[in-house]
Amino acid sequence: MIEVKRLTKSYGNVAAVRDVSFEVGAHEVVGFLGPNGAGKTTTLRIIAGFLGATHGRVVVDGLDIVEEPIRARTRVGYMPENVPLYPEMRVSEYLRFRAELKRVPRAKRKELVQRAMHDVRIEDHANVIIGQLSKGYRQRVGLADAIVSRPAVLVLDEPTAGLDPNQIREVRDLIRSLAKHHAVLLSTHIMSEVESTCDRALVIDRGRLVAEGTLDELRKLRRSRATRFTVRGDGDEAYEVLSKLTGVRDVHREDEEDEVTVLEVRWTAKTLDPAGKTEEAVNALVIAGLRVREASPAKASLDDVFALLTEDEGRNDDSRADEDEEEEGSS
Amino acid sequence: MSGFWPVFKRDLFAIFVTPTAWVLMVIFLFLEGFNFYWLTAHFANQVDLAVDQGPLQWFFGDTILFYLPLLMLPPALTMRSFAEERRAGTIESLLTAPVSTAAVVLAKWCAAFATYLIAWAPTLLYIVILRRAGDVDWRVVGSSYLGVMLIGAGFLGIGVLMSAMSKSQFVALVLALAVTVGLFIIGIGEFIFDRGLAHDICAHVSIWSQMADFSKGQIDSRHILFDLSLVVLPLFITVRVVDSWRWG
Repeated sequence: MIEVKRLTKSYGNVAAVRDVSFEVGAHEVVGFLGPNGAGKTTTLRIIAGFLGATHGRVVVDGLDIVEEPIRARTRVGYMPENVPLYPEMRVSEYLRFRAELKRVPRAKRKELVQRAMHDVRIEDHANVIIGQLSKGYRQRVGLADAIVSRPAVLVLDEPTAGLDPNQIREVRDLIRSLAKHHAVLLSTHIMSEVESTCDRALVIDRGRLVAEGTLDELRKLRRSRATRFTVRGDGDEAYEVLSKLTGVRDVHREDEEDEVTVLEVRWTAKTLDPAGKTEEAVNALVIAGLRVREASPAKASLDDVFALLTEDEGRNDDSRADEDEEEEGSS
Repeated sequence: MSGFWPVFKRDLFAIFVTPTAWVLMVIFLFLEGFNFYWLTAHFANQVDLAVDQGPLQWFFGDTILFYLPLLMLPPALTMRSFAEERRAGTIESLLTAPVSTAAVVLAKWCAAFATYLIAWAPTLLYIVILRRAGDVDWRVVGSSYLGVMLIGAGFLGIGVLMSAMSKSQFVALVLALAVTVGLFIIGIGEFIFDRGLAHDICAHVSIWSQMADFSKGQIDSRHILFDLSLVVLPLFITVRVVDSWRWG
């Protein structure tokens, strides 16, 4: 539904988006993940047709957004960040205006506005002036606007920003239900959001795609890179031994009780065989006279993956290691 | 021209649903009414009237009270057009809808123009009042209102452009006023320079002499052309400005 090919957007010498390619299929919810300022909004704005790309191609529902901009825009329902709305209009008035703007035929307008309001559950607020709505309801009006013309593709920029936990849950459920009819691309900087709503995630950092895959695939990335050791004996010595091994990025002492220490070892990005490294580590610990009680791949939260992916980029920026890692990360 | 009607309707709605238009129209009509009262009071004491120096001519061009609202109203009507949409961010949802830039710009100008016409409409009552006292030359009335429409159209074009150049309504208002009042002041140069190029240029852009002609029933194609170019050129540049946001 959305095809993005080698997309680049530069402002003068600064590249906000660098060579980004990805696809979003029908009935798929894809999370676009990255820290603030990574280029999420810029990418989404290009797909929605608000900004022009410096290089690259975007095809939405089979229509190239440069060759057929107006027709392509009829296929996209876009909700901008912070949901800008006209405060002086009533909810139903606004949605009717948006439906007309999006070329919904007059005969179907009333029905589709009703349906959109029903889908986001704001029928009881249809006659409220938008300026008087709470943040949560404004967000819903934004969603209703995005879906009112029943476009093939929904592009939502931080749909849950600024909402309270209950509202966040509601909006997430809503987005999941929208996937039945639309392909959804949503941006966020919150990992748990991807976990609860998305089938797949794209991780972007400093304008570049650093990882892509299903949530399990992303978690594996992390799993292969950290191992937890539970050791009985001198904790300091265990720390020493593990730190000296090759392929270790850092060692983190987590827990200490009586003589038992838990240490988490993070392998460097170049360590391709963490299992083998784990064997080596156990060996080294035993030789040092320590008792190994447990060695297991660390359970990774997506937050860790996110931190790892975006942090690594920063560490090795503009070096060879950087490129090696990116290949690994995106494979 | 996709998107013209919805944007036109929404802009008109936005002007009239907020107090802006009503406040502006009240001030405008108060000033015009004051002007009209002043002139009728003045002419009531005149024994005989020259053919081309009646109350209509004075009303449409020979008093500063006419020009003040004429200069101020258009910038106030257009200051919101784009500046407010950009400040509030709604421009993003507007331009990502399947609309053409030209349609949006034209719709915003047309909405402002419609409001401008609505503001002038009640002044037609003055003609009705004058008719009770004597004959009214309908051709003079027609050409005078034509002048008011043409000059207003041009000023609104400038106003829409200035609104697109700024994110603040207030800055848009000041910029537009600077241009319309500036144009008026340059026009006054017609009476300062006796002859030569400076005089010709000043006379060409002079709003005062334009309205003086229109209020005498003279319709000069040069004036019409000048006013229409004040519509077309700024609106064309506005379309370019709005398109340029995509490539910023």
